[in-house]
Amino acid sequence: MPLVEVRISDLEDLIGKRLPLEALTKYIVMLKGEIEHVEGDILEYEATHDRPDLFSAEGLARAIKGLAEISPGLRRFDVREGDSEVLVDKIDYRPYVACAIVRNVVLTEEAIRQLMQLQEKLHMTYGRKRKKVSIGMYDLDKIDPPVYYKAMPKEEIRFVPLDMERELTADEILRLHPKGIEYGDILRGKKHYPILVDSQGVVLSMPPIINSEDTKVTVKTRNVFIDTTGISLNDVLQLLTIITTSIVERAPEGYIETIKLRYPDGNVITAPQLNERHMKLEVDYVNETLGLNLSMDEVSRYLAMMRFGTSRRFRDTIEVIVPSYRLDVLHPIDLVEEVAMAYDYERLIPELPKTHVTIGSIDPLEFFSRKVRDIMIGLGFQEVLNYMLSSKELLVHRMRRKAFQLVEVENPVSERFSVLRDSLLPGLLYVFSMSKGYGYPQRIFEVGDVAIIDPSKENRVREERHLSAAIASSKVTLVDALVVLNSLARSLGVPITYAPPSGNKRLPSFIEGRCGLILLEGREELGVVGEIHPEVIENFGLTVPIAAFEINLDKLLMTYEKIHAS
Amino acid sequence: MSITLITRDDFRILSVLSDLGGEAIVRDVASKLGVDASALMRRLAELERKGLLSLSKIIYKKYVITDEGRRYGEIGLPEERLLRLVEGRTSFTGLKRRALDIGMSENEFKIALTHLSRNNIISIRKGIVELTEGAHLASFNETRRLLRSLLRMISTEGEMMEEAIPAELRSALREATRRKLLRTRQESLIKVKLQRDPQALLSQGMLKIAEMVTSLTPELLASGKWREVIIKPFELTTEVPVVYPGRKHPYLEFLDQIRDILISMGFVEARGPHVELEFWNFDVLFQAQDHPAREIHDTFFLKYPAEGEVKDEMLVQRVKMTHENGWITGSRGWGYRWDPRRAFRLILRTQTTSVSVRTLYQVKNEVVKVFSLDRVFRPEALDATHSMEFYQCEGIVSGPDLTFRHLLGFLKEFARRLGLERVKFKPAYFPFTEPSVEGFVYHKKLGWIEALPGGMFRPEVLAPLGVTNRVLAWGIGIDRLAMVVLGIDDIRDLFSPRLDLLRSKPVKILPVFRGGGADALSRG
Repeated sequence: MPLVEVRISDLEDLIGKRLPLEALTKYIVMLKGEIEHVEGDILEYEATHDRPDLFSAEGLARAIKGLAEISPGLRRFDVREGDSEVLVDKIDYRPYVACAIVRNVVLTEEAIRQLMQLQEKLHMTYGRKRKKVSIGMYDLDKIDPPVYYKAMPKEEIRFVPLDMERELTADEILRLHPKGIEYGDILRGKKHYPILVDSQGVVLSMPPIINSEDTKVTVKTRNVFIDTTGISLNDVLQLLTIITTSIVERAPEGYIETIKLRYPDGNVITAPQLNERHMKLEVDYVNETLGLNLSMDEVSRYLAMMRFGTSRRFRDTIEVIVPSYRLDVLHPIDLVEEVAMAYDYERLIPELPKTHVTIGSIDPLEFFSRKVRDIMIGLGFQEVLNYMLSSKELLVHRMRRKAFQLVEVENPVSERFSVLRDSLLPGLLYVFSMSKGYGYPQRIFEVGDVAIIDPSKENRVREERHLSAAIASSKVTLVDALVVLNSLARSLGVPITYAPPSGNKRLPSFIEGRCGLILLEGREELGVVGEIHPEVIENFGLTVPIAAFEINLDKLLMTYEKIHAS
Repeated sequence: MSITLITRDDFRILSVLSDLGGEAIVRDVASKLGVDASALMRRLAELERKGLLSLSKIIYKKYVITDEGRRYGEIGLPEERLLRLVEGRTSFTGLKRRALDIGMSENEFKIALTHLSRNNIISIRKGIVELTEGAHLASFNETRRLLRSLLRMISTEGEMMEEAIPAELRSALREATRRKLLRTRQESLIKVKLQRDPQALLSQGMLKIAEMVTSLTPELLASGKWREVIIKPFELTTEVPVVYPGRKHPYLEFLDQIRDILISMGFVEARGPHVELEFWNFDVLFQAQDHPAREIHDTFFLKYPAEGEVKDEMLVQRVKMTHENGWITGSRGWGYRWDPRRAFRLILRTQTTSVSVRTLYQVKNEVVKVFSLDRVFRPEALDATHSMEFYQCEGIVSGPDLTFRHLLGFLKEFARRLGLERVKFKPAYFPFTEPSVEGFVYHKKLGWIEALPGGMFRPEVLAPLGVTNRVLAWGIGIDRLAMVVLGIDDIRDLFSPRLDLLRSKPVKILPVFRGGGADALSRG
């Protein structure tokens, strides 16, 4: 979530009123912001992702003017039709551009800082680091429209980029300019780069990398030209709306002027598109959702505090006017939350439903696991807990198994956690390897989930609940493991038998001839038991004999249920 | 009286005591037996419990000779020595010279004069010293003799108990202590006294000498010989070996208690797959396909297997339309072209909300309370505060008449049962709930902690699943709460592979299971 820094004095200038700090921070919290810190005139808050209109002081002030009921209700913008045009070339990899003009702005250093911050936060979030959308702002009086959005052979591009003193070529910008280094990947490999240029050949910018120094916005700028470019028309128009409606808050005497965008397919689009949307909201819907009993007037008042327009009430329905910059309002339920926010969450009294009576229960496999864990603990085993994410090195190589396909992560952060475990035993041996010298015998077990590839499943994976136990002790043999297994089976009343690995099947992690399969009803394979192979013990850096077993609890539970059904 | 068994050694103690007249000081018994007095005390205490002897403490006053007392005992008291020099009338200075000549010190001379004149033996007038007329010389000499005898007697012993001093000398004790020739000291002694004659008891058969064994054995029990032996008393402060019990893992024990809390609140547990389709993890939750949470920085994608399927094609269609234009949900939708291939990609689930929506898909509009408590995955590098794998505690409550305030009620109640009494709520943003809330709980040391995120599922989530109920939902990062409750500050310790750590953690019982439950009932 973006961190936004504002100056309280600037915010108050925009609000037009001094507010106590407590009131200010309370309003920010009511707008889902989280106060990060306040120091002198500086206030930093974390805005939520759904409210790009609150990524700078302009939008925040507008919202607070509603909450403080200084000017509640819809913010109407003065939008005038202009005759400037932008001629759009066909650029496959970044086909969309939208532009707007805001006239008669009054910019201070702080105002410029806020607009830069807004631009940067939008780039990072909605713009997906400029890949999806990028934004530019220019001093209109240094531009001679019409403006052209075109792809230029990169060798022909030369201009002074922002914060540089000399002209650079396009490739120099990608190589030398900080922004070029940061975002150059979006353009690299292309022969033509997109460029915004005016009728006199003055370069405005090379989207999405950098603007030109010549057309830079300064405190002297009176009229601002804005562009957004990107890969989706909708996104380009939406971010243009956010930035335009924010800049115009810096133009008390000013207005927004539209621009005609001439697309190569003959389409003409007028931007910005600041259309308000109308939405019907039933008061009952608000009350039923929130568990409140608000009147229509109250609901209208709370909506106005959140700067929605309300008009044409009909019976229990309010027609709500949603301003264009509220990109997050998709459904009337969003308005319900707005009412709750203006009502103030701290005033909502928590309550348990009186009629919603249900009987709780634990998942049967979870309950069975708990019983099995109890028995293992009764047998003197310490329970351990390992991650499901593991490595081939641990699961396969150290265990002397032949390579096979595990459930594998495409983008692991570390090789240590790059596949899902298919058995628990390697994790137990890992615990032994990390617990050398903590006193023997060590008797440990784990009950947990493992993942095995199974193309018949919708998610291509079969998950099983396993139990594995291991004993490390100077005198341990297979007998010790069998004693535990027999005891467990007897406790559950489920008979088990043992058999050597059949056919050409081998159990490479165990000593040959001192291991075997555990069978249910004489045929179904429940798991394996044996003395761990000395090479495996060495692989874990241990010098103590180990006997262990691993069984499938899903199968054990099924048999348990069959036996105890009657 | 029943037959008493004693060891041969104990019988010897009784015999020695008997030889000493049936009563003696412990120290004397010990020296006679040639054993250490403190070791003997334990045996005597045992014999006292058996009713064979009694122990009592006696406080004695002792007189100890001082250096000055010892000297006067040897060479005579100063006043005696000076009196021998007084013959008729003597000049003071002459007397003093002669006193010093016989080795008296200035101080002794002064002491002698004081005593002689106070007792009216001599008189000093105008520098002349003479014997007083009619002085009680005989009685003076007698008291001096007694005092000197006393000093001599105690000098030979160094110290003496009052009782040991002959009665005739005791009259001098007062003067001796006043003149600091003796000092007193209090001392306690333990006296042991036979209750019965051991030989008599032995011959009557009331006392038997028995063998001592270190522990009971099956043989002793089977033969009945245990009746004839004495089982050696055990020294309770002896170091014994350390044994580690089989125990639940502390974190899983905590999670078991969370399960019990939720079950007690009427929730049914549900489980779902860890390997999940993006469809159930994101698309059904109305998270747009270009939502940042769906990028490689926030989600583990699978290399193999890479793609799954959803057999319910109608469900896929409904989700697609909802994303594209809102379908019949009353929403605008996200306004982009929804890609089924993207939805069928396999990931490691990033939130157990996938379990909640799978459950809703199954139960449709049943009135239910469901929870899941299981692992989720995020591409984080493992360090003290981040983990790529952690537990989430997810809950949903579905019914036709539920409200947002009910959600707050459930969150507050859950926190209360964890022992976190103070809760406050703030508005929040989560992509699949509206209204959404963040619940903060108050912790004594850490202050307000963000702990209880929740909300009501959006219509865009519910309608494609065929749910018309209102659904309250929350998904708690239970690891953080566990760390707070268990007092752990490194998240890796929740999955520690070190047995010493697991063995040393004391069992942690949540307040609700320590009587908080009854409290909850009384408060309604």
